[in-house]
Amino acid sequence: MGDVKVAMIVQKPQYKGETSRLAITHAISYQTVEILLEDGETVTPKLCFIGEGVLGLQKGQNAMELYGITSTESHMKNTLLVDLDVLVCKEDLDKYGIPEDAMPNADEMGADKTIQVVPFAEIQKAIEEANHVMFF
Amino acid sequence: MKLGVFVSDFNLTVDTLDRLKAEKLGIILVQNGVYHATTKVSGKASSLLDKTQNLYVLSDDVQIRGLKVEDVDKRVKVVNYSDIVDLMFNDYDKTAWL
Repeated sequence: MGDVKVAMIVQKPQYKGETSRLAITHAISYQTVEILLEDGETVTPKLCFIGEGVLGLQKGQNAMELYGITSTESHMKNTLLVDLDVLVCKEDLDKYGIPEDAMPNADEMGADKTIQVVPFAEIQKAIEEANHVMFF
Repeated sequence: MKLGVFVSDFNLTVDTLDRLKAEKLGIILVQNGVYHATTKVSGKASSLLDKTQNLYVLSDDVQIRGLKVEDVDKRVKVVNYSDIVDLMFNDYDKTAWL
């Protein structure tokens, strides 16, 4: 089987529906899947945010304080902690006036990865390279 | 009819809103509808904010998304849950959820 690349594309904003949140938790679960695989087999997800999916990624979310639920921000930090590649569409951030430095990071938790703000062409490339593409 | 409309999505409901007629229209932005009050698309504020002068946004739903109350368009009044209950009972005959 070798390496199976999965592109998970989030195109809906967070919180109202579950699908955009599920994309993040599904992507994180790739580490659990590895337990079930044979030697030499890997699954490599890329989590990509486009369109309205880039909304709701900003730092400073108060989900636990206000609604008693974990925030998307905390989930994004977990994706970085487990070394997931996270791509956010630069054109869509610009469209909504969201600065790149509003993206969360997990530096304080010791993560090596950071969110990559990239042109849509990079996300298109991830889609083309993937064995499976999932839209959320 | 005095109609209070809850808008809970960002881009999906404006066409429906155009068809609703009311002598007094109130728009209450909740859930992902709060982006109408805080976010400009390509530098332009949401056209929904031109539909009425009675615009409200739920504070908790702004803050949960990492947005700030200061980012809310000046035309929109920031309200809490209790204020929304008052609006529903005192200001509008009917409410709709889009």
